Amino acid sequence: MSALGGPKQTGGVQSPTAMGIVLSIVLIIVALGLAYFLVQMAGVIALVGIIIGGVLVAFGVHFVPVGGAPAAMGQSPGIATGVAMLAAGAGLAGLFGGAWAAPFGLAVALAGGAVGGGLLMAITCTMVNVIYIFGMGIPAASGKVDKDPITGDTFPEYKSQGTEGHGLPFISWVGGVVGGALGGLGGTLIYLELLDIYQAQLPVLLNATVEQIAPVAISLAGIFAVGMFLINAVLAAYNITGTIEGPHDPKFKRFPRAIIAAAVASAVAGFFAIALLELVGVF
Amino acid sequence: MEEIVFGIGITALAGALATVAGAAEDTESDIGSQGDPNSQVQLAPQMGYIHRIFNKAVAGEPPAYGLWVALGAGLAWAFMAMQINPILAIVLGSALAVFVQGVYATTAYLGRTASLAKFGQPVYIDILKSMTTVTMAHAFVAIFTTVAMCHLMISALGHPFPLPLLGLVWGIALGAAGSATGNPFYGKERQYQEQAFGAGVPISASGNIVRYAEAGQRNSLDNGFFSAKLGGPASGICFGLIVFFELWRTVVFEELNIWGPIIVGVVVILLFAIIDRYIEVWARKNFGPYSAAPEEASS
Repeated sequence: MSALGGPKQTGGVQSPTAMGIVLSIVLIIVALGLAYFLVQMAGVIALVGIIIGGVLVAFGVHFVPVGGAPAAMGQSPGIATGVAMLAAGAGLAGLFGGAWAAPFGLAVALAGGAVGGGLLMAITCTMVNVIYIFGMGIPAASGKVDKDPITGDTFPEYKSQGTEGHGLPFISWVGGVVGGALGGLGGTLIYLELLDIYQAQLPVLLNATVEQIAPVAISLAGIFAVGMFLINAVLAAYNITGTIEGPHDPKFKRFPRAIIAAAVASAVAGFFAIALLELVGVF
Repeated sequence: MEEIVFGIGITALAGALATVAGAAEDTESDIGSQGDPNSQVQLAPQMGYIHRIFNKAVAGEPPAYGLWVALGAGLAWAFMAMQINPILAIVLGSALAVFVQGVYATTAYLGRTASLAKFGQPVYIDILKSMTTVTMAHAFVAIFTTVAMCHLMISALGHPFPLPLLGLVWGIALGAAGSATGNPFYGKERQYQEQAFGAGVPISASGNIVRYAEAGQRNSLDNGFFSAKLGGPASGICFGLIVFFELWRTVVFEELNIWGPIIVGVVVILLFAIIDRYIEVWARKNFGPYSAAPEEASS
């Protein structure tokens, strides 16, 4: 990686190819078919939930304003860390909240997950601006747009010479919170779907009660949810290539490609997650 | 009611532990130069600037802390299963995890610095000897406090995740909060201390990091001293606020209504939106538009 955080970013939008779309649909159908074959209808429903969760994660990552290495020098706007890492931090904090609220039902747990992820990003983004403003004396300025779409603030006159902008404009702050919330929502959905599957299968497999297998089911669902989260976050990060300012960045328009990739990756990885116990039983 | 008061006490304690963890994490990563600003430490010799800064960024802070905290938590969990007192178990688990961090720091410094040999950058053995132990000490504080916080969440607040998984989740969140908040302060304010205050570093100045201190050459301990003044505490406040609000909204409001924590969470997010917008406008008014001074050019 160069000092400026990767190759020149074109912001170009590449539409998915027909071949890619056909292959993706085939893979998803195969995964759904196998899920039906091994775990019946419950497996198909769970896999659909996991695919939706994965797509939400990948879509959410595109909202998160990430400046990478250049942001650490005030050379580009955004948060000075990696795309996948920051999204994972937010999404997993959401998963923490969602898993805690799981006994209260799907709606409460999903909302809890979304708010948990959004809260982490709200606090982090605010602290980033605190450091930029009170630690470094630098006001926020976007490099991609001249005017904040929400507040109407203008940026060119605040941008330091020789940089692409710096700090977190309000639109990026909002993008961060939306991205964190979508990540928390998606991660929690994956966790809950897997938990349902394991809670149904483990008692039969181990000849035990639901209470007895709860720690195993929660651990398995939790670790798979973390893994699936990272798969989708990293896929989205590859699609972004380097840095993104948030929903106003031209690179944001690349998201359809990430959604297709995330759906396929979630379908294939999700199939192995839900069929894990069946596959273990086979051997 | 008594349960809520107990929960609030635990929440405050967990928030305090998280604050210490965040501060130690950022200071550790700046002494070891593990965050994004390390791109400049790696670049400097290639531009002809030989330096004595530590260099261990072979992994980002979030995955690295995910590993170390999950390792500390996993070992502590195993020791507790062996009927060892929880506090001793957490200390032992964290200490063992810190040895892994020490091995990581040593091999990363040697590997990364050796890769710069063709640009004339030497591997300083005295740097390795004096700084690795300092990063390990800071890492111990960060890992111990995070594992202790995770243990409180499980044993006192009843979170369903097992300790190692919770360690992974909060380790990654700790690294994310610490790197997001602390990196700009280390990168812009310290590595590029010679550049104008109140402006971003011009891209043309990349690699020209500050290499001399008040006396002799600057090393990473000087950077740790600097980070501990603002970047570290700010990262601590960031992570502490995250953990505190995450727990507080659940512990206090779940009893009233199952939707309580969610509504309170949204209110807190809106509150932070107002704070963020206020300081953004404050900065625009007080700092004003950018105006270039003639001596602001690179180097």
